[in-house]
Amino acid sequence: MLKIENLTKIYDNGFKALDNVSLEIPDGQFVAIIGLSGSGKSTLLRCINRLIDPTEGRIIWNGIDITAATDDELRLIRRRIGMIFQQFNLVKRASVLTNVMSGRLGYLNPVYALFNYFPSKERDRAMKALTRVGIPEKARNRASALSGGQQQRVGIARALMQEPEMMLADEPVASLDPATSHSVMKYLELLNKEDGLTVLCSLHFLSLARAYSDRVIALKDGRIEYDGPPSDIDDDRFRQIYGEEAVEVEIH
Amino acid sequence: MTQANPSSPAPSRSRAALRRTLILIAVAIVLVIFAYGWQVTEINLERPQEPVRQTNVTNALRELLSPNVLTQDYATLAVSIPFQIDCPEGFETPPVTPPADGTPYIAVEPACASSSETVTLTGYNFASNVLARVTWIDGDEQRRIRQVDGQDNFTIGLNGTFSVSIEVPRIRGSAGELHALEVQQAVPSGVPRFTDTTREVLDKMVETIFLALIATAISILPSAILSFFAAHNLMRAVRMSLGNLLVMFTLLPLGFLVGGVLLSEVGGFVLRLASGQGGGVETTGLSLLVLGAAVAARRMPTSTLSFEARLRSAAMTLIGAVIVVALIGLIGGLGLLAGRTFTEGIPGVLGNFVGSLGRLIELSLPFIGGAIGAFALTNVGTALTIDALKTISPAVSRVIGGALGGLGGAIVLGMSATVGMSAAWLGLLTPVVAAIMGGAILPLLFRRVVMHGRRSTQSDRLLMSALGWIGTIAVFAFTFVQLNVFRAMVEGTLPPNDVALALPGLNISTYVLTAMGIGLVLGAVGGAIAGTRAAFPVGSVLYSMTRTILNGLRAIEPLIMGLVFVIWVGIGPFAGVLALTLHSIASLGKLYSEQIENIDTGPIEALESTGANRLQTIMYAVVPQIIPPYIAFTMYRWDINVRMSTIIGFVGGGGVGFLLQQQINLLRYRDAGVAVLAIAIVVSILDYASAAIRERYV
Ligand SMILES: Nc1ncnc2c1ncn2[C@@H]1O[C@H](COP(=O)(O)OP(=O)(O)OP(=O)(O)O)[C@@H](O)[C@H]1O
Ligand SMILES: [Mg+2]
Repeated sequence: MLKIENLTKIYDNGFKALDNVSLEIPDGQFVAIIGLSGSGKSTLLRCINRLIDPTEGRIIWNGIDITAATDDELRLIRRRIGMIFQQFNLVKRASVLTNVMSGRLGYLNPVYALFNYFPSKERDRAMKALTRVGIPEKARNRASALSGGQQQRVGIARALMQEPEMMLADEPVASLDPATSHSVMKYLELLNKEDGLTVLCSLHFLSLARAYSDRVIALKDGRIEYDGPPSDIDDDRFRQIYGEEAVEVEIH
Repeated sequence: MTQANPSSPAPSRSRAALRRTLILIAVAIVLVIFAYGWQVTEINLERPQEPVRQTNVTNALRELLSPNVLTQDYATLAVSIPFQIDCPEGFETPPVTPPADGTPYIAVEPACASSSETVTLTGYNFASNVLARVTWIDGDEQRRIRQVDGQDNFTIGLNGTFSVSIEVPRIRGSAGELHALEVQQAVPSGVPRFTDTTREVLDKMVETIFLALIATAISILPSAILSFFAAHNLMRAVRMSLGNLLVMFTLLPLGFLVGGVLLSEVGGFVLRLASGQGGGVETTGLSLLVLGAAVAARRMPTSTLSFEARLRSAAMTLIGAVIVVALIGLIGGLGLLAGRTFTEGIPGVLGNFVGSLGRLIELSLPFIGGAIGAFALTNVGTALTIDALKTISPAVSRVIGGALGGLGGAIVLGMSATVGMSAAWLGLLTPVVAAIMGGAILPLLFRRVVMHGRRSTQSDRLLMSALGWIGTIAVFAFTFVQLNVFRAMVEGTLPPNDVALALPGLNISTYVLTAMGIGLVLGAVGGAIAGTRAAFPVGSVLYSMTRTILNGLRAIEPLIMGLVFVIWVGIGPFAGVLALTLHSIASLGKLYSEQIENIDTGPIEALESTGANRLQTIMYAVVPQIIPPYIAFTMYRWDINVRMSTIIGFVGGGGVGFLLQQQINLLRYRDAGVAVLAIAIVVSILDYASAAIRERYV
């Protein structure tokens, strides 16, 4: 269970990106976070694993207060929360395998890093993760040599190395074409259904949210505008979230 | 920017006029600056016109452009012809028949003459364009050089023939004798070879290139490490609670002292063993220790954060510190052993190198032990106090903050005052450091008392910055006056080195004690206001310090550094290596850090989100991105170092520059030309190579 209480984020320049957001997300839910650009989706997701330090409020996950964790505690929490990104955030010059294995660093002795050493068991685990996302044959390639969809799958494989209980996905398909978007979303769905991962996924297209999520949270100017099942979003609600002139587009 | 209003053209026209006037004024100012510069640099169009200077420069250039690179052996070829002094009756010049084999021959016309008369000497089949001279051989076989056109030597024409006028010498009692005329020509024989100058220059050029190579190589690691501290994007986010920082800071000197004594003993012990001064028992112990290290390294990761786990990991840290020092000692000892074992040939060269490294480790063991001790103790201290510091009440946090802050402040200012005692102007360091501390206090007070944690407005920020400046200036002035820095700076004197407080192993002078007192007050006040839970921007402080040091070092020219190092280690390439290394560290540190600042931060974010720690994030998200530019900039630096090492010899730093300077001072421009040529060749090859390599990587 993830519990967010009165979360507020004010950036150094004084901009209030999140305004008193409170949420409860039970384990195993697939939550889509939607909202206009600048509404605070990324800020919310990054506050959860404290890539951004919230200004006020608490985030409690399975009884642990993430907002109060020290650096050491935070690392232990983070390694159970996977994250994937719009820009994939792979090390482009490194091999796919190294990129995937680097998802496991939180479990490994930091001294290993000095010698660029990974135990062979982690290699096997990485190959398994790559097999799971369907690109084991790319293990030796440079990450930069992969297509966008393949890179995002490497990103998912890297997160899988953490054996996460929750997955944060910040616009994971915004840089991909519709068909590839669906294939990446299907992997997230799989993780949610098969492994029981809680998934928090910010999306630009409501149609994707409708297709994959159990619940939609809409943000507007840092506040929750809507929180409920995707099926309940009608035209009125849609215009509330996205503004009067918006038209819903389908993505197939 | 304001926008022009289209409905009223007048203001826009006047604005255009204003613009034009401003441009005119700017042009005029630039012109004045330029004219002044012209005068300051004493640009003079008349002096280059003076004939003496023109001749001098032409000669110097001609010699520089005729470098004394090659030389050759010469064989002397001599052809002679008889000559009758005072023509007898009916003398006829005997006809000269050219030899059939085409060897050189000469003819004289007339073949008899009296003293002071002029005869014409012609020659054929000589080597063309080569110097020759004419010798007169009299009846007693006495030889005299006969000048041609007032010169001893003359040049034989392009077709190998010549025709010169010779005056018959006036020799007492030579009347009627039969003399001879001989033409000698030095003919190049064998293949051309390098002159001694060339050999010397080549020798020195090798020294130059290696000087640059070694300086560059040594500087890579320190500058790579420093570059991380000088990278804003990595350091900005590094914050630490003031409590933890102060605990670390008070433990740091303690750890350094203890480590310097105890750990360096361990290292020294292992070093002596490994260098061959130990028996079988010790060697076995050593192997066990290494084995233990391997085992310990495997069991280190922790997954819980209970106090016992922290205690265990603290113990591990201490054991780890001992093991690391022992390993360093082991490496040093093996190096020394190798240095003593191999002394001949190529293994000898390697042995000398490894032996020096071993000696370096031996010499720096107290420092290494101190650093590792400080690291271990601060780590342990932080781990054991972190939970306690988190749970204390605000009041207690202030008391502890005040106490630790006072201690830390006293240590900081005590250290800077100790540095300040070594030279008059270094005395400025203490007031500056005190001022930085003082500048933080008033804004902090404002934030705590007036703002009460509310969000800062524009005017708040202005006010705080004003308060900061007031505090900075006030504390600077106070410290400056208290420590008498001004007098020291004017008179160049050092503060008295009295003993105001004697601690075991440490005597503190009045001067240092005063500084410590100021630090105590500032630190205590600041710590008490902030409390131990305030986040202290350690990263930004380290960043500014590193940048300041790097910038300062870079501002000192390597030639000047060379001068100082020559005083220290004597004339020779070693001084040059040290000077170039120091400058390269500063310059590469800056260049490297700019590369770090340019990296894609996405992977860093991604790895942080997986729970990787800072070291792992750097190794896997930063290092792969910076390796190519680091290679490129290292090449670039080597290129610069070769250029610099060619002139570092001017101040005695070794390399070809020393030779060049001597040759120029002795006005031997043809020899200097060789050095200049060698430098030009090496520099352009390297220029090309480094550009090619950089192109591949950037
Ligand atoms: N580091 C920062 N400093 C100041 N303001 C920021 C910072 N990061 C984001 N913001 C602002 O906070 C607001 C919310 O940003 P956020 O990235 O969370 O939006 P988003 O919903 O993810 O938008 P998008 O769909 O474009 O990714 C934006 O107005 C943005 O300009
Ligand atoms: Mg976003």
